[in-house]
Amino acid sequence: MSAESDMEYSDNDGDDYYYEGQDDCDMETVDRSKSDPEYFMFSCLRVEEVEKLLNESIELLSNSLQITPSLAKVMLYAYEWNAQEIIKKYKENANEVLVYSRVKPPMPQTQGNSSRSICAVCASTPPLQKYSALACGHYFCNDCWAMHFEVQIMQGVSNTIQCMAQDCEVRAPEDFVLSHVTKPALRERYQQFMFKDHVKSHPQLRFCPGPNCQWIYQAWVREGARRVECQGCELLTCFSCGAPHHAPTDCTTIRRWLTKCADDSETANYISAHTKDCPKCQICIEKNGGCNHMQCGACRHDFCWVCLGDWRSHGSEYYECSRYKEDPNLANDSQHAQAREALKKYLHYYERWENHARSLKLEEQTLASLKSRINQKVMAGEGTWIDWQYLWDAARLLKRCRYTLQYTYPFAYYMDVGPRKELFEYQQAQLEAEIENLSWKVERAETTDRGDLENQMDIAEKRRTTLLKDFLEFNTNNASSSKI
Amino acid sequence: MANIAAKRIKREFKEVMKSEEVAGGDIKLELVNDCWTELQGEIAGPPDTPYEGGTFLLEIKVPETYPFNPPKIRFMTKIWHPNVSSATGAICLDILKDQWAAALTLRTVLLSIQALLSAAEPNDPQDAVVAKQYRENPQLFNMTARHWTNIYAGGPTSVWEFNQKVQRLLDMGIDEHQARVALSTYDWELERATEQLFC
Ligand SMILES: [Zn+2]
Ligand SMILES: [Zn+2]
Ligand SMILES: [Zn+2]
Ligand SMILES: [Zn+2]
Ligand SMILES: [Zn+2]
Ligand SMILES: [Zn+2]
Repeated sequence: MSAESDMEYSDNDGDDYYYEGQDDCDMETVDRSKSDPEYFMFSCLRVEEVEKLLNESIELLSNSLQITPSLAKVMLYAYEWNAQEIIKKYKENANEVLVYSRVKPPMPQTQGNSSRSICAVCASTPPLQKYSALACGHYFCNDCWAMHFEVQIMQGVSNTIQCMAQDCEVRAPEDFVLSHVTKPALRERYQQFMFKDHVKSHPQLRFCPGPNCQWIYQAWVREGARRVECQGCELLTCFSCGAPHHAPTDCTTIRRWLTKCADDSETANYISAHTKDCPKCQICIEKNGGCNHMQCGACRHDFCWVCLGDWRSHGSEYYECSRYKEDPNLANDSQHAQAREALKKYLHYYERWENHARSLKLEEQTLASLKSRINQKVMAGEGTWIDWQYLWDAARLLKRCRYTLQYTYPFAYYMDVGPRKELFEYQQAQLEAEIENLSWKVERAETTDRGDLENQMDIAEKRRTTLLKDFLEFNTNNASSSKI
Repeated sequence: MANIAAKRIKREFKEVMKSEEVAGGDIKLELVNDCWTELQGEIAGPPDTPYEGGTFLLEIKVPETYPFNPPKIRFMTKIWHPNVSSATGAICLDILKDQWAAALTLRTVLLSIQALLSAAEPNDPQDAVVAKQYRENPQLFNMTARHWTNIYAGGPTSVWEFNQKVQRLLDMGIDEHQARVALSTYDWELERATEQLFC
């Protein structure tokens, strides 16, 4: 499986027939890695493929160190699956590796409760052969080990199950656990948890966070906002941190922002209304598309859903709506006024963030209905899918642009005031204006001229990539060159 | 109750009863019911601490899966300590959570809790308000803990000034414990405590 089959242009929901003849060829991938500032190499793997991948590491380690696969797992888990590092260190100092992996205790056990006359856990006195111990030599009766493992497995512990002795941190390897656990359901549960733990501890793997989604991403870089798209559920995720994909905002900032939004949700609650009054004739208008360029059905007044300002001022070369102007006299103000100003600032960014999230949802519905409209046309003999493909592409592109736009707001919120922020908000405003134009045209796609629509797509995508090229953190060369 | 749990508790009960700590009056253990699922512990406040001279009762609940899971223990006696909730008596102690080992016993647990009274872990607080006072105003923390020990655990040191302040709030019709909590929380500043109680 390779990255190109996971990228956004491909559609994996079963309607692949209209892609016939369109090869997702390598040429395109190479191209995209240059033109798309968010391009990130990754694969989307199935559980079986990941199992195979993990088993290769396990086999490699167990073969080259002549240890059991079970022990290899304990060590790989402790060393974040870096088999080469383990092999190197093991040759230098095997004991150190075994202690670090918690296969062995740090000090050779002097005596402790290693007696085999009474089990310190259950206080019974079974015959000698019914005791067992890990490398630490803490003997307990087999019934107690079995109970211990059952309790731990039921609580979801697998790789990190420890010895039962006080202050002993030696971990029980898989073969030791399984030699004491007989119930098939419990053994299976243990192995499932073990697999999940392995994926979570592996720096090159990440579960798709989609509900009930079984796909697993594989990639080789784990820092900065890195977009991965699930082949199963189409969710966009950041490979580095596991949050919803968030470029141009970085991982730490998006965490701060999402936490802040959760904390302040009550303050911001009043915002959400789905209806607003037309600023000219006061008739109540319901927003049903994602476009923020509203047109009143009664008086035909064009206005902006976000700021209720006249749309004509938004269409001009300097789109003001996305910008928040900080009050320059702020420093002299009282604490109370500063707090009020802080809330005002937050709400400014939050409202826009929320609003684009809502638009995105509505545009997803548009996308779904567009598909059935195209199908109807094709059935009615009005051209083939290829003929209408551009409409579909336009709606997909709109979604992608809107998504990036939404995530520019937390970025701007945490930016220091200065020329760089001004530049950012200028680009953001331009992107926003072009997205609203595109949204307007997509909603009226069938009556819009195809060339006009394709031109608008091109402009919007260019604005998006320009902003990302200049501000996406890991594009360090670009970022520094655009610094003022 | 599982056979093994009951067997273990019975054995541990005996172990505690004949331990030197019981003989020395440091810890005590009593049965609450006959099925060995609930016990009551008692620890003496350690010397040279604000808890000295106090007797602290603990509620001990033994889960079905004991000793593979830790006993559930909380303070029944109200106590002012960074690692114990002043409201519920819940204890933050590693061996009662992830550092529990099946080979640990009630005796070691009781002694660990007693040790916690001698050496708090302010970086792992159960009660954020108490922990803050412990870090920022250790002298006042000591006085407050001593006062709580006197009122709730039978400790010897009565803090006259604190008693007066509690009495002032009592005269305003406020519940005694509520008054003490508010005053302790606001570093015994009568005005702030009152403000908080009436807002
Ligand atoms: Zn046993
Ligand atoms: Zn051990
Ligand atoms: Zn998925
Ligand atoms: Zn991230
Ligand atoms: Zn109108
Ligand atoms: Zn606007």
